[in-house]
Amino acid sequence: MLDVRPVIFVNGILLLVLAAAMGVPALVDVISDDRDWQVFVTSAVVTGFVGLGMMLGTRPEGRLELSTRQAFLLTSSAWGFMAAFGALPFSFSALGVSYTDGFFEAMSGLTTTGSTILAGLDTMPHGILLWRAILHWLGGVGIIVMAVAILPILRIGGMQLFKMESSDKTEKVKPRTSQVAGGIVMVYLVLTLMCGVLLWLAGMTPFEAVCHAMATLSTGGFSTSDGSAGHWDSALIHWILTIFMAIGGATFVLFIAPWKRGRWAILTDTQIRWYLGFLGFFSFLLAMWQWVVNDMDAGQALTHAAFNVVSVVTTTGFASTDYSLWGGFPQIVFFILTFIGGCTGSTAGGVKIFRWQVLFAMAGVHLKKLLHPHGVFVIDFNRQRISDAVVDSVLGFVVVYFLTFAVFGLILTMTGLDFVTAITGSAQAISNVGPGLGDVIGPAGNYKPLPDLAKWLLAFEMVLGRLELFTVIVLFSRSFWRG
Amino acid sequence: MFDVRPVLQIVGLLLCLLAGTMLVPAAVDALARDPEWLVFVSSSGATLLVGLALWLGMRTDVRPLSIRQAYLAASLGWIAPCIFAGLPFAFGPANLSWADAFFEATSGITTTGSTVLAGLDRLPPGLLLWRGLLQWLGGIGIIVMAVAVLPVLNIGGMQMFRIEVVSGNDRATPRAARIGTTIVGVYVLLTVLLAFALWGAGMGRFDAIVHAMSTIATGGFSTNDTSLAFFDSATIDLIVFIGMIVGGMPFLLFFHVATGNWRRALGDEQLRWYLGILGLGAVAVTLWLINSRGFEPLTALRHGAFTVASVMTGTGLVTLDYSDWTGMPVAILFLLTFVGGCAGSTAAGIKVFRFQFLFANALVQVRQLLRPHAVMVPTFNAKPIPKEVLTSVMGFLFVYALAFATLAMALALLGLDFMTALSGAASAISNVGPGLGDTIGPGGTFAPLPDAAKLLLAAGMLFGRLELFTLLVLFVPSFWKQ
Repeated sequence: MLDVRPVIFVNGILLLVLAAAMGVPALVDVISDDRDWQVFVTSAVVTGFVGLGMMLGTRPEGRLELSTRQAFLLTSSAWGFMAAFGALPFSFSALGVSYTDGFFEAMSGLTTTGSTILAGLDTMPHGILLWRAILHWLGGVGIIVMAVAILPILRIGGMQLFKMESSDKTEKVKPRTSQVAGGIVMVYLVLTLMCGVLLWLAGMTPFEAVCHAMATLSTGGFSTSDGSAGHWDSALIHWILTIFMAIGGATFVLFIAPWKRGRWAILTDTQIRWYLGFLGFFSFLLAMWQWVVNDMDAGQALTHAAFNVVSVVTTTGFASTDYSLWGGFPQIVFFILTFIGGCTGSTAGGVKIFRWQVLFAMAGVHLKKLLHPHGVFVIDFNRQRISDAVVDSVLGFVVVYFLTFAVFGLILTMTGLDFVTAITGSAQAISNVGPGLGDVIGPAGNYKPLPDLAKWLLAFEMVLGRLELFTVIVLFSRSFWRG
Repeated sequence: MFDVRPVLQIVGLLLCLLAGTMLVPAAVDALARDPEWLVFVSSSGATLLVGLALWLGMRTDVRPLSIRQAYLAASLGWIAPCIFAGLPFAFGPANLSWADAFFEATSGITTTGSTVLAGLDRLPPGLLLWRGLLQWLGGIGIIVMAVAVLPVLNIGGMQMFRIEVVSGNDRATPRAARIGTTIVGVYVLLTVLLAFALWGAGMGRFDAIVHAMSTIATGGFSTNDTSLAFFDSATIDLIVFIGMIVGGMPFLLFFHVATGNWRRALGDEQLRWYLGILGLGAVAVTLWLINSRGFEPLTALRHGAFTVASVMTGTGLVTLDYSDWTGMPVAILFLLTFVGGCAGSTAAGIKVFRFQFLFANALVQVRQLLRPHAVMVPTFNAKPIPKEVLTSVMGFLFVYALAFATLAMALALLGLDFMTALSGAASAISNVGPGLGDTIGPGGTFAPLPDAAKLLLAAGMLFGRLELFTLLVLFVPSFWKQ
């Protein structure tokens, strides 16, 4: 049996952070003279109390050190604890939300999914709206730090490729990793501020600007209006959001030192190139469809096509218009785009561009091997050879990804959902996108009418997708808990 | 550029065979005093002319084919018969446009079973027999190819099924030939058995023969618009059910059975998974039918199990119109479309063994996370799976998904709705037959689709039948360079 005390200790610290974060919406509610501030204070006290208890009860002697197994347990349990307590303000509030719904909302927030069970957002107290955005934002920080610092060490799904160069020498790991993590958080903060200011200048109120900036950079997708981004009929706002969503889906490490060795590192990175090419291609395709088939004005078609394609690929889930009404072709495209995802080391979910690159290269190698059975072919990524072990883990990841999608889709239909809702719901949950297709959970609907069991399943699938599957799945293997 | 003459010669030979088969429906029509026999004779003449010209005109010294020639032969060997087999449809009383005729012929030869024809009961018997024959020939073609050709070409992990050469080259050839004849013999025997069983269960002689052919080939063409529901007999359903499952089994196992190696056949992991998945799906759909539709348990089992087997093996025969089902069974059927049958069967789809390989690998991955330095190897039938095989399988799966996504998008671009495009693409690439939705569901036909969509679907069927890479490799520029 492994020692869970350090895990509980770190979870305690995280809960204290969460409790502190609850102070912000409390403050906002106090200022805007809303009685909801009591809800946040109560939740903060409960959370802080539990967090403190966990921390003090398991304080380690000397320095804190985590083994691989403890790191696995920590990453999974952290998301669970945070969501469990992040749900408190929702269920304590006057909205009359059940705990299941609250948990779903909090998990959807922390995993930066953006599926919501709330309706009537426009008239809701500011505190709750801000809290949703903060959950997104915290989840976003959490996932980038995890992708940079933890996943490569755990060798999840080919992420070992992104290990810091120096991590082979043990003594240098810590300073460099924490340095990079610090830099990333700074970049994240600065970009959020920029986005917020730009949105404010473009015509949003300061409050809306802040909420949207947080939900955009974390590629989350909670809005302050039921109409999502479609509430603002301004091309300028849509383009600002489009650009910052695209940034949120890009590899954050590249922004720390964008100018390296006399070149823009961002532009020479093959993953970014594929990513931008991909976004450009499908935006153009859908813009053409809207322009030619649905007679939309050309400029408008481009704005809406680019906005919604970027929103789905980066797994944000904002909608500038109800794209499920665009017809059969866009529906298929959006369904398929759900699986693509952003770049590694970003806040986006999905399979991720780099894995598709590896798969694409793998298919190419197979094709060449057919013609030259004895030839030796290697797979390159960013002019670097990819080892067999990496290819293997990518392979395993993609297989388990689609298996999970299929199994959850199937179970969801058993809870009574119809085919389209179940399949697209499962796809969007594992990729952390937000809206699905169909009448119930489409861009214009919400998740409220789903049965409770379906909500728990979807929430669990969100964590699975967010933590790159294996981090969670490994907990279910018997040998994990043995000696 | 390599020498294409030997390839064209093989194609010519296949066309001559096809021309010969066309005489069978011609004879049936002549006996039934239907003027359509002339159509078959003239189609046969045209096909024979081209076939003979290719066969005789492209004669070269007999030499084993190079890899490239083998690929080209495998691809053209399927495409050319599809074109010529469409002639009777285009010239005959069915009077189809050339796109429709090509679609119908391709759907037959690839054992898909999607049809553009309605009013089957009023068609001359020759044409109905021709559809059955096409599927039957396609079925035997794919088995021979899956056992003899694809493993040698290393397509998508099929190299795991290479027939072990005992020792030396001289002993390998007779063994391979013996396996080939045994399998063809088993195929013929099973068809005859099925036909007799169906006849005994109350079908007419003609219906029994056509259905036996389309069942064992997991094809799905029927002699009636309502497919098997027309006969409405539980015995017939049961016989066809068993026939479809046998059609989806690895035919190489029948060779082991024939040589008395029972244990090897029964212990085959692929067979167990195949039956297991089939059983699970059948139970789930049966329970749903009892719960949501209020069926009697036995009736529910009959229709549920039949539908699941029909979709999973890619047959597409129907006992009950399932287009109004909702929720869980739809998801199950949609997912099973992709699973398909076993390697070396007449069924298509991704195939069970590929899932097994990947599953074994994923399991090893999870264990490896905890013990990064341990050496663990995924196995299949107690044999280790080499790295290249896994890469091939993954490459296959990726191209499969890509082809499916592209086809679905292209279909939707032509104006089909979400369900029709998605399920039509899935059913074409996996060679199932009917899709979901109002238009192409089990109750409808593919006739209302635009011509371009039909051609795309036919291409998808060929692509899926040839295990993608056989056809794809022709599009690599270096294939044609020296």
